[in-house]
Amino acid sequence: MKLKRSWITVTAVVASALALSACQTTPSPAPGTAAKPAQAKPAEAAKPITPEMAGNLANNCFTCHGPNGRSPGSIPSIVTLSSGDIAAKLKRFKSGEAPSTVMGRQAKGYTDAEIDAVANYIAGLKK
Amino acid sequence: MNKFTRRDFLKLAGVSAAATAAGTLGFSVIARGQSGSKPGGAKGAHVVVIGGGFGGATCAKYLKLADPSLSVTLIEPDKQFITCPFSNYVLAGFGTMQTITHGYDALRKKHGVQVVQDFAVAIYPTKRTVRRKSGKSISYDRLVVSPGIELKWGAIKGYDPAAATAMPHAWKAGAQTLLLRKKLEAMRNGGTFIIVAPPNPFRCPPGPYERASVVAHYLKQHKPKSTIIILDAKDDFSKRGLFIDGWDKLYPGMIKWVAAAQGGTVKAVNTKKMALETEFDTYKGDVVNVIPPQSAGRIALDAGLADDKGWCPTDPMTFESTKHKGIYVIGDASIAGEMPKSGFSANSQAKIAASAIIADLRGQAPIEASYVNTCYSLLAPDYGISVAGVYRVTAEGIKSIPGSGGVSPRDADANFRAEEAKYARGWYASITADTWG
Repeated sequence: MKLKRSWITVTAVVASALALSACQTTPSPAPGTAAKPAQAKPAEAAKPITPEMAGNLANNCFTCHGPNGRSPGSIPSIVTLSSGDIAAKLKRFKSGEAPSTVMGRQAKGYTDAEIDAVANYIAGLKK
Repeated sequence: MNKFTRRDFLKLAGVSAAATAAGTLGFSVIARGQSGSKPGGAKGAHVVVIGGGFGGATCAKYLKLADPSLSVTLIEPDKQFITCPFSNYVLAGFGTMQTITHGYDALRKKHGVQVVQDFAVAIYPTKRTVRRKSGKSISYDRLVVSPGIELKWGAIKGYDPAAATAMPHAWKAGAQTLLLRKKLEAMRNGGTFIIVAPPNPFRCPPGPYERASVVAHYLKQHKPKSTIIILDAKDDFSKRGLFIDGWDKLYPGMIKWVAAAQGGTVKAVNTKKMALETEFDTYKGDVVNVIPPQSAGRIALDAGLADDKGWCPTDPMTFESTKHKGIYVIGDASIAGEMPKSGFSANSQAKIAASAIIADLRGQAPIEASYVNTCYSLLAPDYGISVAGVYRVTAEGIKSIPGSGGVSPRDADANFRAEEAKYARGWYASITADTWG
């Protein structure tokens, strides 16, 4: 049992590292520092956005933008956009800098960190 | 990360999870497209979904996308699903039944969902089984109930299933949609079309008013002397300012809305006289559409999933029933805080329920929920409006995020309305692909 427990510790630490790197809201910390995310980025440590959480946020995009962001109709596809493009567009909709019909109203519902996490998630999907 | 590749890590996580009785690891990648991990807790578990509409079909699909090792059975009585969204355009003559009809082939073949064409008649929460109309029983590890609505027959005196042939509700799309369309086609020029709008809460809050709009579009072209009266059990309705502006602009004098305070609440129907009794008056229509008060779908009521008002209370973070553990109620049947009863809401709730079910099967805490709704309405084929909402879970349940969402601007120009009409069609193409594709 002792051996198994140590395995768990190892995987848990690696898991934290993966969770952070998948978000990419900040440059990924090295595995060795991942156990102390609070020191890495205090502002987001209070509410880290895990990949699963990013998935829950991003899944709502597909209702209008189509499965995986591939739209079959008149709403723009987001499937081929880079993470940076998606995040930049959403932030411009949010600020009102970019005109929109509904996206401004939608984007105002998310923090910038959530927007980054959603953008990374969508750009990182296997398509 | 040089020593562990991602693949190695996931393998390792899977092994550990299996070795430590599933889920104690506290980490798994269930987000789709990033999967690869199959912790033992959910593997081979059987999730049964009752109802193949926006809620049920989406949930079945997203369960399989998130964890292909799950066994998912969808029980749906109809071979194909006909959507309420866009059925108003069939009534108005610019939409077809074909475009609002969706099959289950993709769920079966592409996603590996077992689709059983049968009627779920009873749920036994302690035995974790569902009895089907065919007599067969099916057992589940987790159950999703997405039965839509039940029309409250008799809530308006005289309005029963027989009366619905004379005065269609057309609030469950299909034969009723075609019946009401036929009656509108047969109506004389100069006739009166009456819509009886239900009290809150009900399926598709802007629906009755969109219906009035697009039927006005039809009548204006083909029977321009006709009028529309909406008899309402409410004093307000979704996107009211935008609807009334649009009516004044597109159909001046054609649509009359009678609020509850003005005596709009219909108490009784008389199908022989095509008459509607309100508190003060009797209204007669050439064509009458009664949208009656509603509750959660029958099976939810029978299974004891609903409260005394007929809707199902749920945990806002997971949509698990607060009445029976292991059962998740989504879509119109559920009580969902500030979310309206819409296809979009059902689709959004379905994804969260799928995520929560998988977490639960793995012995993990649910992942934080995030919900969205957007409802488009057409006032004419090239005139669209919308209401949007972004929701999160608070101590008071599901709430709209302050500063987000809301309705289309009231002062928008014709281009903006045309864009929204275009996006309404795009929305339909996308949500139906996301749900049944």
